[in-house]
Amino acid sequence: MLIQVSPDDITFEIGRLQRNYQFLSYGLVAAWIILVAYVLMMVGRQRKLQREIAGLRAILEDKRR
Amino acid sequence: MRDKILWILAIAAVALLTRDILVMVDLPPEKMQGAIFKIIFFHVPMAMTAMAACGVALIASVLFLVTKNFLYDALAVSVTEVGLAFLAANLITGSIWGRNQWGIWWAWDARLTSALVCWILYASYLMLRRAIDEPTQRATFSAVFSIFCFIDVPIVIFSIKWWRTQHPQPVFWGGGSIPAGWYAIALWQLLAMLLLGTVLTMIRLRDEESQREIESMRRMAHAF
Repeated sequence: MLIQVSPDDITFEIGRLQRNYQFLSYGLVAAWIILVAYVLMMVGRQRKLQREIAGLRAILEDKRR
Repeated sequence: MRDKILWILAIAAVALLTRDILVMVDLPPEKMQGAIFKIIFFHVPMAMTAMAACGVALIASVLFLVTKNFLYDALAVSVTEVGLAFLAANLITGSIWGRNQWGIWWAWDARLTSALVCWILYASYLMLRRAIDEPTQRATFSAVFSIFCFIDVPIVIFSIKWWRTQHPQPVFWGGGSIPAGWYAIALWQLLAMLLLGTVLTMIRLRDEESQREIESMRRMAHAF
């Protein structure tokens, strides 16, 4: 069985394995980038809303006085 | 109390994800597909989390229409947004797997197309909400549209059973195969993703509460 395997076959198999790992890493990085980007977007939005609440509170306090 | 629950869930999700990734790294490449097969530990749990999010959005939308309680509207929008993020990650990881195994980034087969349609439908739901200013009208229209969007979810899930598709058969409760011992890891990863989805939904719910607070403060400011 081993005799039937040519050096070309081995080179092809090594290339295939390397491509597999390369694409696996692309997939994992893409998945995490999407989730992290979404979390960062939520944090940014929360900060913006908090600033807006603080501004409105200040306006309401002024109007009460 | 809610903060404590949120922190506990977040720590549990991160711990589980870290553990699963470490276990995944140690696994040998799969016999037929090689290392790329491990993408299944992200692709499938992300799809299941997204579909679960669609289910929760449906229930919340129906409950809003019945009770007119805005908490359900807030839950529907929060869980939809989180589900969309998971579905986007699922589509992209699937596309990368397809490029490696099929040699193409995309195939217009029933599973892939219905999943893309699902993403577009729920993205439209979020756009619809931005287009309506009046809160009650916005919540009612959105709830009806969310119920309509859910029609696509069973099509996504059962498309690989109803039609001949290029997409492989499901690993869970289907004809797909997975190496012995990998099944449990996939289930743990599913639990981790569901926990992560729950945590993100709880954080997103806070945004909705802040938004409602802003709307009531604006009304008060105008009333003075």
